[in-house]
Amino acid sequence: MESKNNWKAWLYLAPVIILLAVFTFFPIINTFYVSFLKNYDYMRGTSDGFTFDNYLLVLTPVLKSGPGTMFEEVMMTALPNTMLITIITVPLSIIISLLIAIGLNSIKALKKVFQTIFFLPYVTNAIAVGMVFSVIFDANTGIFNAIFNTPLHTWIAPAFGVQGSTVNYWSALFALSFYIIWHSLPYKILIFLGGLQNIDKQYYEAAQIDAAPKWKTTLKVTVPLLSPQILYTLITSFIGAFKEYNSVIGLFGSEGGKFDKTTGPSSMKTMVYFIYEQIGKNQVQYACAAAVFLFLIIMVFTVIQFRVSKKRVHY
Amino acid sequence: MEIVLKHLTKVFPGNPKKNIRDTTAVDNLNIKIKDGSLVGLLGPSGCGKSTTLYMIAGLKQPTDGEIWFGDEDVTNLAPEKRGIGLVFQNYALYPHMTVYDNVKFPLTNLNVVKNKTIQKVVDNNLIINLLENNLDEILNLIKSSLFKGKYSKSASARRIVFKYHVVTSLAEKIFKFGLQYSENPKELASSIVNKLKDENSQILDKFDKKGVRYNKKFEILDETGNPVKEKRHLTADEIDALVQETSRLVQINDYLERKPAELSGGQQQRVAIARALVKKPRVLLLDEPLSNLDARLRLQTREEIKRIQLNTGITTIFVTHDQEEAMSICDDIVVMSLGKEMQRNHPQEVYNNPNCLFVAKFLGTPPINVFPAHVEGTELFVGQDKLLANKALSGKKEVIVGIRPEGFIYNPKGEMEFDIKSIITQGRDMTILASHTSNPENQIKMIIDSSIQIPNGKVRFSIKSTKLFVFDKETEERIYLD
Repeated sequence: MESKNNWKAWLYLAPVIILLAVFTFFPIINTFYVSFLKNYDYMRGTSDGFTFDNYLLVLTPVLKSGPGTMFEEVMMTALPNTMLITIITVPLSIIISLLIAIGLNSIKALKKVFQTIFFLPYVTNAIAVGMVFSVIFDANTGIFNAIFNTPLHTWIAPAFGVQGSTVNYWSALFALSFYIIWHSLPYKILIFLGGLQNIDKQYYEAAQIDAAPKWKTTLKVTVPLLSPQILYTLITSFIGAFKEYNSVIGLFGSEGGKFDKTTGPSSMKTMVYFIYEQIGKNQVQYACAAAVFLFLIIMVFTVIQFRVSKKRVHY
Repeated sequence: MEIVLKHLTKVFPGNPKKNIRDTTAVDNLNIKIKDGSLVGLLGPSGCGKSTTLYMIAGLKQPTDGEIWFGDEDVTNLAPEKRGIGLVFQNYALYPHMTVYDNVKFPLTNLNVVKNKTIQKVVDNNLIINLLENNLDEILNLIKSSLFKGKYSKSASARRIVFKYHVVTSLAEKIFKFGLQYSENPKELASSIVNKLKDENSQILDKFDKKGVRYNKKFEILDETGNPVKEKRHLTADEIDALVQETSRLVQINDYLERKPAELSGGQQQRVAIARALVKKPRVLLLDEPLSNLDARLRLQTREEIKRIQLNTGITTIFVTHDQEEAMSICDDIVVMSLGKEMQRNHPQEVYNNPNCLFVAKFLGTPPINVFPAHVEGTELFVGQDKLLANKALSGKKEVIVGIRPEGFIYNPKGEMEFDIKSIITQGRDMTILASHTSNPENQIKMIIDSSIQIPNGKVRFSIKSTKLFVFDKETEERIYLD
């Protein structure tokens, strides 16, 4: 029976497999391949043979060093930016969304209304939201400076009409993180809410009878029982944060920002930003080398997370 | 703790828009439960027994009425302040915690008032005592933990804890002395004992110098000579001692390190009881605790519950829809129907003397046989058969007669004639399926000693008067015969 009907299964899977093969598997393999080609011309598909120079140029100062080289762009700007964004936004967004989800789950009145409100950012375009945030964080007229009484503090771009006004890198990172976290909350809240609603109420009744305070019930009962969902969002948002790009364009425009060099990297360009930039400059082989590098980083992080989670996640 | 329910009522509000009426789950319930007794709330599903239990637990708020624990009104007290232990129907063990952590969890929230003690000295004295008197056995226990060429600390500790009722940290300390590796354990033990005695006298010296007084139990005393009290959380050792004690009581010592999912239903059930008992509650509440177990385990576990209840003497309320379960272990049962108490008494008494048709039908397997009957004068008839004459009967009316399956005696001159359909012999007894000649549709079950020969066809039986009950047809109340 099994072998007879096998072709049917393959037939049903065929559309997806063909699409994946053309648009995912082939590009992945081709990226590896191209990253080892010298002077690759993507229009003609020609190259000057194999080389490791692409990696050496992008990742090491061996062949070229000094300001303005690709090595500096990746290792001094794109990689630190990406790492900082990941380290800051992932844990914060998970903790905040978890708290909001727990809060939403414990109210009765207006629950649906609040759920909708919290889900709205998810259906808004990232670039559009970025533009709104750049208005909010505007040094001259931004509402953020008005609310927190920090007049003319520069978050994204230099203040208009102020001589020698520069942007502090950390201010820019704060604004960017604020935006990324806000924009990533709804999806996580949705996932956590789903998980919370699946937790048997009897666990809470048992905890209540055992006189456990609320915070302890949350920490010792809710969080462990939600750990599969937490692991899922942790891994997907880690990967998402490593691929951050839209938000930088949305907030800082197509230049990726211009910051005071003494305070940190001079722009908020990320790894993916660098990759797109190289494609735009017709240097696909460097883009591929950087993409393979990013792929490896993400893989290592994901494997580590799975390893660590084995002990802490309770299915 | 005596529990009194006064006019307890619970109404679940309906929804007039959707034309759902209010549901009265519990209706004016008045029950007094004696201290230290095991009481079963018995009834079909939907009769309000679980709702009653959850109101006693405080997880549901009564619509009306009062709940008293002893002379304390707990009606409006939060569940965590009532001092109850609750075993849920599906146990609700925390799946991510080990059995030990599950049982431990209630203790980590407790605040206790205890005498302030010089704990270190007490512990040292315990070790000294063990090493001086039980050295050989302890060595044997540790050596029996040999696994893959190594002595296991946790296994040794578990064994020492089990045998000598000490806390785990103390047992581990004994393991760490390394007696098992020593060539001459006796000598090592005596040197350890001396060291501990030195340590004790140093500690006590310090207290003496500070002018702190203490008694023979090393409890610190105040100026008037009374022990100083302190309010605090339980220490890790105290928690361990309680967990060990409780797990010994319900016999789960061997699975303390496992997760609930790795246990059988019966083991999970015992863990749930341990978690409810560990904080020494005033009242233990069990919500259908046996419904998730298979038939064999159910028998075993209900004995277990009875044993634990007897050992601890804790007032226990037990909810079940299984009358056999309730009858076998309860001191008293309360039969409920549609939120009302139908009858409350000792199980056997309720069985022997049901006060209404509902109770008579609900108790007993196979269920009681019900016959439509009529009274003429003082005589009772089922169909043409005259069953009996009694002065309590009078007039001319329709009634209902109930006869327990074991109430029939084979007698060719008996009062009632039956048409035998089939006979099923089950070892000691046999079950006879029959119908009365007046109503062939109504199937009758009789249980008779299997040694008696019953002919086929129409057979007459006489009825044991103690197994026959007469009920009013309208009210279904019992009509008591003289």
